[in-house]
Amino acid sequence: MSEAAGTVVVIDDDYAMRLSCRKILEKTGFHVETFEDGIQGLEAIARLKPPLVVVDLKMPGLSGMEVIPRVRDIDPLIVVVVITGYATIDTAVEAMQNGAYDFLPKPFSPDELRLIVKRGMERHRLALESRQAEIERELMRRRFVTFVSHQLQTPLVAIHQYLDVLKQLEDSPEVQARRQEWFDRCLKRTEELQGIIKDWLTLSQLEGELARERVRVDLHQIVGDILATYEQMARAEGLTLENRLKENTCVVRGDRNCLSVLFDNLIVNAIKYNRPGGRVTVEGRAGNGEVFVSVQDTGIGIPEKYQAMIFDEFFRVKGEGAKTTTGTGLGLPICRRIAREVGGAVTVESQENVGSTFVVRLPAFREETAEAKAAGCGL
Amino acid sequence: MSLESKKKILVVDDDADFVESVSLFLEHNNFTVLKARDGSQGLKLARMEQPDLILMDVMMNERTEGFFTVQEMRRTPELAATPIFILSALYETQAGFRVKPQSSWLAHDEFIAKPVDMRALLEKIRARLGAGQAAGEG
Ligand SMILES: Nc1ncnc2c1ncn2[C@@H]1O[C@H](COP(=O)(O)OP(=O)(O)OP(=O)(O)O)[C@@H](O)[C@H]1O
Ligand SMILES: [Mg+2]
Repeated sequence: MSEAAGTVVVIDDDYAMRLSCRKILEKTGFHVETFEDGIQGLEAIARLKPPLVVVDLKMPGLSGMEVIPRVRDIDPLIVVVVITGYATIDTAVEAMQNGAYDFLPKPFSPDELRLIVKRGMERHRLALESRQAEIERELMRRRFVTFVSHQLQTPLVAIHQYLDVLKQLEDSPEVQARRQEWFDRCLKRTEELQGIIKDWLTLSQLEGELARERVRVDLHQIVGDILATYEQMARAEGLTLENRLKENTCVVRGDRNCLSVLFDNLIVNAIKYNRPGGRVTVEGRAGNGEVFVSVQDTGIGIPEKYQAMIFDEFFRVKGEGAKTTTGTGLGLPICRRIAREVGGAVTVESQENVGSTFVVRLPAFREETAEAKAAGCGL
Repeated sequence: MSLESKKKILVVDDDADFVESVSLFLEHNNFTVLKARDGSQGLKLARMEQPDLILMDVMMNERTEGFFTVQEMRRTPELAATPIFILSALYETQAGFRVKPQSSWLAHDEFIAKPVDMRALLEKIRARLGAGQAAGEG
């Protein structure tokens, strides 16, 4: 394949034409194979799988027009350029409709041939890349399904195993002594399952074509509401929560629910991975058409080597924190997806045992119509 | 049975709950259980303690970690003949996931689907270790 990467197959019944095409293209660095009729040419194309074919439309035997669909049958990514006489522009158009990439009317200059072949090669490269991207996406999707199944199976297996042993060794003193603890563990694992399913649904809804609102949202209010819900829980842990966002400074356009989910996940993390007596601070600023909101905690932090991975589905840092907290590892991927949806991003800065700061960057709300402007000013 | 005659089983799995219930069951059935949370811990313990049999989960942290550990164990002369049972929840559901026992790169002895049928597992372990027989050094 790589050997043929720069190969051009030229099919033309005219000897002089074949010769000059070869000279011009070889001078540009391409490897050229020439053939005098369609049948021979197609044979070679099937064998060489060249990125590009130059074919004369008017040939005895198999015509160029008949060659085009056959080349596409061999590999639809092969770029076909047709050579045509002046009088046959209509046929050239037909050839393009049949799947040719471009046409070159006779007579043409060496530069014209070079240019069209170079462009065709570029086109082929792009087509290859997008095919590759599609394959990778499909692999990712399949891998993800396997991964989710595994994530769902793990707690199920744990529960099953507890119940199985509880049942089989019901009367043994070792099991009796552990019974309560095991029931509690089973309940914990069912919670884990529910969490996975809930997060996963959120994630796939975000992927779906769900019609989402694009309204003016003041993040001050969203964050305030979220912090209020966790106030009591935080106080029990000795944590202080603070909303330093000012009204009407960090205003974005988006879906209220999605934005709530985004900040909820970051704030819950900041509480969950904090330490007794710690703080969670939400701050924000706007500038250059963007808003930046940071969720900062004084918690356990994230070792540097894991900072790039925490946005991957199901990734959890396996440390002291993971033992005392539960989670699915879908929170941050959800955050990232929501931010990207509206053209934003989520980044992290963190130091182990000092704390973490997650920064959400979102495009600022812009009043687009007079009506929206009036509504915006009214608020 | 004297203490020394108990057979040693190493359980390698990153799910603490799974290890807890399975070990209790095996201990109840007169085995000594060694526990490891990941492949490298498992490898260390196996080299140190020379268990009579190893139960190894293959979908731990990274997809290949369990397999990698099995390979390493087979390269260790003292462990080359230790029976290894591979545990996996994907065994039944994933087409093409099953690896033939005779594959030279992965010389294991059994594939066991998770969740594990404890009675069946016990039978398989006993069959492999010679039921009720005392260990060689006894
Ligand atoms: N503020 C934080 N401080 C320290 N570690 C964090 C913080 N936020 C996230 N992490 C680490 O990143 C991992 C992934 O976070 P994420 O929110 O995606 O999942 P989770 O909290 O484990 O589960 P859930 O899906 O329930 O949110 C966490 O398991 C934790 O190890
Ligand atoms: Mg989380």
